[in-house]
Amino acid sequence: MLMTLASQIVPLDLLAAGETARVFEVDGRAEFVHRLHEMGLQPGAEIRMLRPGSPCILAVNEHRLSFRLEDSTTVLVEVSR
Amino acid sequence: MSSVAARPLTVAVIGNPNTGKSTLFTALTGVHAQIGNYPGVTVEKKIGRLQHNGVQIQLVDLPGTYSLSPRSLDELVSVNVLLGRQADIGAIDAVVCIADASNLERNLYVVSQVLDLGLPTVLVLNMWDVAESRGLKIDAAELGRRLGIPVIPCEAHRQRHLADVRAAIVSAASGPPPAIPRIFPEVFTAAVQDLQQRLQDWGAGAIPRPLAERLLLDVGGQVETGYRQTLPTEFGTVLDGLRLRLRDQGFRIPAGEAKARYAWAKEILTGVLTTPTQRMVTASDRIDRVLTSRVGGLIVFCVVMFLVFQAISTLAGPLMDGTEAVFGFAGDAVRSVLPAGPLRSLIVDGAIAGVGGVLVFLPQICLLFLFIAILEDCGYMARAAFLMDRLMTRIGLSGKSFVPLMSSFACAIPGIMATRTIENRRDRLVTILIAPLMSCSARLPVYLLLIAALIPPITFAGGWISLQALVLFAAMSLGALIAIPVAWLLRMTILKGETPPFVMELPAYKWPSPRMVLARVYDRGRAFVARAGTLIFATNILVWAASYFPGDHTLEEQLTTQIAQLEESSEATLKSRDELQSSHETVEHHLAALDSASMEAEALREQLSEIAIQMSLVERKLAPLTEAVDARNAEAERLLEHSALGRLGRAIEPAVIPLGWDWKIGVGVLASFPAREVIIATLGTIYSLGGDIGEDDPGLQQAIRTAAWPDGRPVFTIPVGLSVMVFFALCAQCASTLMIIRRETNSWSWPAFTFVYMTVLAYLGALLTYQVGTWWMG
Repeated sequence: MLMTLASQIVPLDLLAAGETARVFEVDGRAEFVHRLHEMGLQPGAEIRMLRPGSPCILAVNEHRLSFRLEDSTTVLVEVSR
Repeated sequence: MSSVAARPLTVAVIGNPNTGKSTLFTALTGVHAQIGNYPGVTVEKKIGRLQHNGVQIQLVDLPGTYSLSPRSLDELVSVNVLLGRQADIGAIDAVVCIADASNLERNLYVVSQVLDLGLPTVLVLNMWDVAESRGLKIDAAELGRRLGIPVIPCEAHRQRHLADVRAAIVSAASGPPPAIPRIFPEVFTAAVQDLQQRLQDWGAGAIPRPLAERLLLDVGGQVETGYRQTLPTEFGTVLDGLRLRLRDQGFRIPAGEAKARYAWAKEILTGVLTTPTQRMVTASDRIDRVLTSRVGGLIVFCVVMFLVFQAISTLAGPLMDGTEAVFGFAGDAVRSVLPAGPLRSLIVDGAIAGVGGVLVFLPQICLLFLFIAILEDCGYMARAAFLMDRLMTRIGLSGKSFVPLMSSFACAIPGIMATRTIENRRDRLVTILIAPLMSCSARLPVYLLLIAALIPPITFAGGWISLQALVLFAAMSLGALIAIPVAWLLRMTILKGETPPFVMELPAYKWPSPRMVLARVYDRGRAFVARAGTLIFATNILVWAASYFPGDHTLEEQLTTQIAQLEESSEATLKSRDELQSSHETVEHHLAALDSASMEAEALREQLSEIAIQMSLVERKLAPLTEAVDARNAEAERLLEHSALGRLGRAIEPAVIPLGWDWKIGVGVLASFPAREVIIATLGTIYSLGGDIGEDDPGLQQAIRTAAWPDGRPVFTIPVGLSVMVFFALCAQCASTLMIIRRETNSWSWPAFTFVYMTVLAYLGALLTYQVGTWWMG
């Protein structure tokens, strides 16, 4: 993909405040992944980090979601540089 | 139409959390909803009624959810209701799906699952005004045409367009169901049919298609768990095989569902939803910059919590006193009408005191829920949970447990009722189980009495810190400190399992709607009185009976009548005694402020001796009354000692001796199992002071100081006082709390567990305190 040349895939917790990204993959136990998908954190969704940390606050479309991910769950996002 | 009107329509309401679902429900049905529990689960069953053009509708409120994939038995209830499999609800005629108009794409996820059920559906686009203010444009008519269902824009909190919603419900329910949208690829549909066939072959009966889809999609979900329990193990292998085959065909589970449904939502919304190109910084975001920041946010949080508890403690006190006064007055009124006897005692000391014991909690519950409802409705509660999450994860809970636990410092009952916001069952149970350890306001009188009687008034640091205050602080914090290892142990043992990721929506801030807030307060207050109240009342009657029977109360009643007559005949003397007492106090007060060698002090001292002489004259006149009261109190003590409760106290004496207690303390503790504050009145009766007594009564404090074992040693040493306080700090002496746990968990085993673990903890704590205290103090 041409896109990947100009972008970088990083874990969600590396996003700085105000940075926007696109969800690339949610990895972990199937039921948790499913739940995160249902809440809007599915591959392709555009997100913006409002307050990094644990828990963090994200903007997903018009929603503001607060997240604390357990060790077994990883959210990878694609940041365009 | 007449055939439709004969039977009320059953309509389910479903939607994402924070979409104003409860607001719409209340706006449509009013506050008179019927509240209960579904059998076997903790989900609240809420049914309201409304009417449109003569058609009766019963509206079933389902819990707010992001999807219809059930992970727990609680979540399975919604699916069962919608599929008409919940026996106590019956078949569903239509579904009202409520969506946040300003967030349509994600909200369509659950809408697509509802459409999958093939039931007549109405889509309500709530918060239409918010969507407009954000510059979103939605073509509702076109959306309705594409979905094949009526789509109604609505502003529930402003009571707008409600008639449209009502009309749409009635017409949808009487019309044909909409076509089921084709969301999933062919391979998935084939796999579902395959699974349905296999289940039939196994004799599991016909499984509805939506349920078969859930079975395939939800790995480890409730539907799968149910079937795995009843079917042979091969079933698991077949299910896994089907999932693997789907994966090879390019449909990954669970990602496939989200992918398919969001793709469908996107397609539906293309050309229907127009979003502004410029992203707007909303007012909510600006407020959040302060309210969710590490330092500023915590400061605001502390101020808010302080104001709430300050308001509750200043407002609840007078209201509770007022409630008590009303019941005291009612008791007096009955006393003046009925002759003395078991009936009067049952009505006054059993029934009226019992109802009073229930209603006295009502002001606290209503006030706390008023504030919680305001904070929740305006959106602050989610921020508070966010801020407290860091702290609460240390004991294995999430931020959502903070407010219920904090509330429990006022009273565990509203605290436990407030755990409804915790959707994770395990977190909720742990929170419920440790909430009664928080030091509630009913423990305070017990602490105050024992501290005033036993702890010397020593001060340190130049009078700034007093030993009494330190002991009070320690007693108040003990429960919360013990709760930390208890929570940890619960999570390690009986409530084990992986902590799910914490995901919570932060809804946009808005002004709380008074109607909504009041409806919530009314709901909670009524639930408490109706469900817990009857049981609290019954326990009160039981303890009354145990302390009244068996025994011949004739002498006590004669003495009581005699006292009443004497009081009436010597009214003037009693009044002058009160006046003398108060002037004695005033003079003493003045004297304390003066230099004892001064002329003025000398004059005051003379005045004091003058009052004392007059006082002794009055006392002599009142001697018959005093004698009668003493005799009555002695008789009451004798009766209590020989009652069922007293005998039980004697019987358990060997068990309380290691705690340093005598049988009288044992009886007091036994009697206070329904409500811990009862110990004050019981100790009053048992030390022959009468039951009408408060914790600041000097006579009771004196009686405690002078109480002695038969060999003359004092009963209440400091270790004994501390041991009683530790017992009260940790014990589950509150029938109301246990009944609320029963109501909220919908099971008798959790209140039983709470009672046992707290009582064992209290006993061991008291034992340790007494033994270590005695050893340490020599």
